[in-house]
Amino acid sequence: MPNNLFQRGIRCKAGVQTAAALLVALHVADAVADDDAAARMFSFSGFGTFGLVHSSEQQADFTSTIFKPNGAGYSRAWSADVDSLIAGQVIANFTPKVSAVLQVVSEQNYDNTYRPHVEWANVKYQFTPDFSARIGRTALPVFMLTDSRLIGYANPWVRPPIELYGLSSITSNDGVDASYRLALGSAINTVQVSAGQTDFRFPTAGGSGVGHARDLAWFVDTFERGFTTLRVSYGETRVTVPLYAPLFDAFREFGPEGTAIADKYDVNRRLVRFLGLGASYDPGTWFVMGEWGDIDSDSIIGDNSGWYVSSGYRFGKFTPYVTFAARRADSTTSDPGLTLAGLPPVLAGTAGALNASLNSQLGTRVVQNTLSIGSRWDFTKNAALKLQLEHTRHGAGSAGTLINVQPGFQPGGGVNVISATIDFVF
Amino acid sequence: MPITSRLASSIAGFALALAASAASAEVVAVVSAKSPLSSLSKNEVADIFLGKASRFPDGSTAVPIDQAEGSAVREEFYLKFAGKSPAQLTAHWSKIIFTGRGQPPRIASTSAELKRLIAENPGAIGYLEQNMVDGSVKALPPP
Repeated sequence: MPNNLFQRGIRCKAGVQTAAALLVALHVADAVADDDAAARMFSFSGFGTFGLVHSSEQQADFTSTIFKPNGAGYSRAWSADVDSLIAGQVIANFTPKVSAVLQVVSEQNYDNTYRPHVEWANVKYQFTPDFSARIGRTALPVFMLTDSRLIGYANPWVRPPIELYGLSSITSNDGVDASYRLALGSAINTVQVSAGQTDFRFPTAGGSGVGHARDLAWFVDTFERGFTTLRVSYGETRVTVPLYAPLFDAFREFGPEGTAIADKYDVNRRLVRFLGLGASYDPGTWFVMGEWGDIDSDSIIGDNSGWYVSSGYRFGKFTPYVTFAARRADSTTSDPGLTLAGLPPVLAGTAGALNASLNSQLGTRVVQNTLSIGSRWDFTKNAALKLQLEHTRHGAGSAGTLINVQPGFQPGGGVNVISATIDFVF
Repeated sequence: MPITSRLASSIAGFALALAASAASAEVVAVVSAKSPLSSLSKNEVADIFLGKASRFPDGSTAVPIDQAEGSAVREEFYLKFAGKSPAQLTAHWSKIIFTGRGQPPRIASTSAELKRLIAENPGAIGYLEQNMVDGSVKALPPP
């Protein structure tokens, strides 16, 4: 199935378009051989998801990533924007050692458009079957499923738990990477190192912001033995978010105290470090997996961590699962800010506003946990239907990962979300 | 006496069941008769077919050859060696293909073609119904 599906997609499509073409192809053996060669050099394939999501909270939007501007709840009762996407990929095998991949994805962007973006665009050189290097754009394997997070069909749930996967705004790398695989008895160890940079755009109230990650370096070690997989991921990068500059420039007007606050929180070539640990066991009829991750930066980004455990059992075409996920803020979520006492009334007003702005930023730190249950149903070839129910509890004063929070929202409460998706590959 | 006869008949039933399962084409991993390999564990076979391993334990390159999509022998092979249903196998390869990590094995259109390809290539590995095995290929039992 995968061969027909993926390697010979173009030829199959051409074949079924007209029975006449198929007959001609059957009769002209040489043409079939040529066709085969062309089909092996270029192969087209794709994947997608159509999803609908409903949230019980009408004073804020539930969505899947920080890159989406709206979702289910406040903006609309049922949102198709949370999970829906479509992607096409072309692989070109120029020689047995040189190949290239281009993958384009259309999903709801930060600016509420579905303008397609390039998710993968790289050239790979396969030095040996176990050692390869790529140059170009790759998805960055921050967590176990980061590089396959969009491929709903490949994953057990509607979407990876946002408590962990929402920790990193960085999912892509423009640069180089190398992968080396080593057999150790009956175990396989794979080391992947990446270096490069990336930019990411995110929505803000009334507009959008950009982040620049530079001097990005990543290391991932994956150990597989039988049905067991263990994984360690560590990465560092220097991040700049220009959006914060006006706030901290204003703080710097307030002498040494303001400068100290600005230096503490500003995001200007600030070192950000990630650590992720993951494990899974999947003997076929059931699975259990878990991951933990931490992002740490001496800035307003702060120190945050998340984890989840999930297990499922496969009853024929049905795979019910249960997942528990949690996110916490390990650094401060408030700051006394500038000392107002002794300031002239006009300056005290400005300083108070700056303190409030800083604290509202610190207060958006996500503290929440989610229990979700759901099932995958492989109802037909190459497509699966999933239904997922989740209950999220927010930490005191937190709106969790909800966005477009309205004045009527009560922080520290809970929200119920129902999601239905059809995932497919072609 | 009734107890022993009942025991005897249940033993006979058990033996019959065993014989029946042996008759329903057992899937075995095969390599060329020219290959130096004599055994391979289920996990080692599965890793080669799932794109996780590219070499045999002796370090030589392994070239997996798959059976036709939808064939009974293919479904039984992946269930028995990798614990994967056809849908799980598609999910597995989707993850690998769409993250640029590799491509699935080459497919032989029939068991006869697969046997011919395996017989001719000492580096190739495939799988066949037990009753298809002849002198040109050899089955690889687990060590």
